[in-house]
Amino acid sequence: MDWASILYLGITFGLFVIFALIVVRTYSRKRKDENEVAKFRMLDDD
Amino acid sequence: MENPSYNTDIVRSFVTWSLVWGLVAVLVGVIVSFQMINPDLNFGPYLTFGRLRPIHTNAGIYGWGVGTIFATFLYMVQRLCKQPLWSDKLAKFQLWFFNATIIASAVTLLLGYTTSKEYHEMEWPIDIMVVILWVVFAVNIIMTIINRKEEQMYISLWYMMAALIGVAILYLVNAAAVPASLFKSYSAYAGTNDANVHWWFGHNAVAMALTAPPLAMFYYFLPKSTGVPIYSHRLSIIAFWSLIFMYLWTGAHHLLWTPVPDWVQTLAMAFSIMLIAPSWGSVINGYLSMNGQWHQMKENYLVKFLILGITFYGLQTLQGPMQSIRSFSAFIHYTDWVPAHIHMGTMGWVSMISYACIYYLVTRISGRDLYSVPLANLHFWLALVGQLLWTVPLWVAGVLQAGMWNAMNEDGSLTYTFMETMVEMYPFWWARGIAGVIFMIGVLIFIYNIYMTVRKKESAPSTATAEGRA
Repeated sequence: MDWASILYLGITFGLFVIFALIVVRTYSRKRKDENEVAKFRMLDDD
Repeated sequence: MENPSYNTDIVRSFVTWSLVWGLVAVLVGVIVSFQMINPDLNFGPYLTFGRLRPIHTNAGIYGWGVGTIFATFLYMVQRLCKQPLWSDKLAKFQLWFFNATIIASAVTLLLGYTTSKEYHEMEWPIDIMVVILWVVFAVNIIMTIINRKEEQMYISLWYMMAALIGVAILYLVNAAAVPASLFKSYSAYAGTNDANVHWWFGHNAVAMALTAPPLAMFYYFLPKSTGVPIYSHRLSIIAFWSLIFMYLWTGAHHLLWTPVPDWVQTLAMAFSIMLIAPSWGSVINGYLSMNGQWHQMKENYLVKFLILGITFYGLQTLQGPMQSIRSFSAFIHYTDWVPAHIHMGTMGWVSMISYACIYYLVTRISGRDLYSVPLANLHFWLALVGQLLWTVPLWVAGVLQAGMWNAMNEDGSLTYTFMETMVEMYPFWWARGIAGVIFMIGVLIFIYNIYMTVRKKESAPSTATAEGRA
């Protein structure tokens, strides 16, 4: 495997890890209310 | 919290101009559809199919689509951030520069100046205008977001930022070219690299201009119209990030069975299939937001447009991945199936959402009730019937065309000549032309309704009417 392939694989893996962290953070029970609060602001008058 | 002073004049102006360019796009679309039925309708050299077709697509995408994006983003960002626009002067400059760019594009395309790259036909001086226009827009929106009074960002803001950054990167990379004269340039890339970069742009322009912004609009205007919040903000966030991670890999599915390396094609195919998940994440979120509210499909014209819009998004994002599979692509690629797929997206998804947004914006900004809800309902049905009569016959035509192209005699010779396959298309092309006329009548009714709303006597809108119920 050459350096370009290793770099390509590394970036792909890195992106996957970032995505996994976003999922974990978004669905963390601790942050459930915090992550849902924004939708209720839509009921405010424009 | 004290209500800041929002700039609504600029929103009104962008709504007006997006309506103008939207009508131009549909009108030219109808003309080119009849040019395919009757070649005598080509009036050379300026009014031929080859020159009018890119005007139809560019007026549709950049005039109607992007014009509506400008209007809605400038409206939404101020309210989502509880912050007036960062610069009203920049927004005003953006309005005039937008129209100058669209006019310059139309004139040069009519004169025959083209890069010949689909959806990126404009030559390099206009590319520079597009870049200036987008940077001005992006700076204004992003600075408003940075100065926001609300700490947590609603999902629409995420989609808006993705569109701003995504379009900028795509357009700059694909526009790289070496100018040979004032209106002639050569791509900076060669051969399959050029094709690969171009379809990376082409497909992701669909993502960043015709998917992310309408989703931002859908997530904003659905709760505003129904009066209830979306089902899950967390689901919308996950759908957003998975869409962003996956979309940019899919462009090469336009190049299946070409000299582009096999692994690139396979990668694009795989990511296209995976893309069903985030797309349907938004569709399901939209449907679940309607729990207990489905009666509004009958009572609220805005909800009709929005829910049918997200439904066509769902259908579009199932059909698209299906088309990206090699074996299926081999059958339908280059047939009339493909324009039918695109038009379900533009007429069914993007336009339905945009209609709802504009109806909402006009009543809110003008402070008046909609002139006629029955006319809005009529517009809905004309848009729906026009779109279905456009797409369904063309899918059938595509399958018929593919079948005839692939039919072989026992000795291995082709069963049908190319001309025989063309002759079989005429009934379907007639259906498309008529569908275009029906859709255009809907657009004319829409514009008439908007015009009558803004010109009638001042009256505070009832809450029910402003939210689409009446």
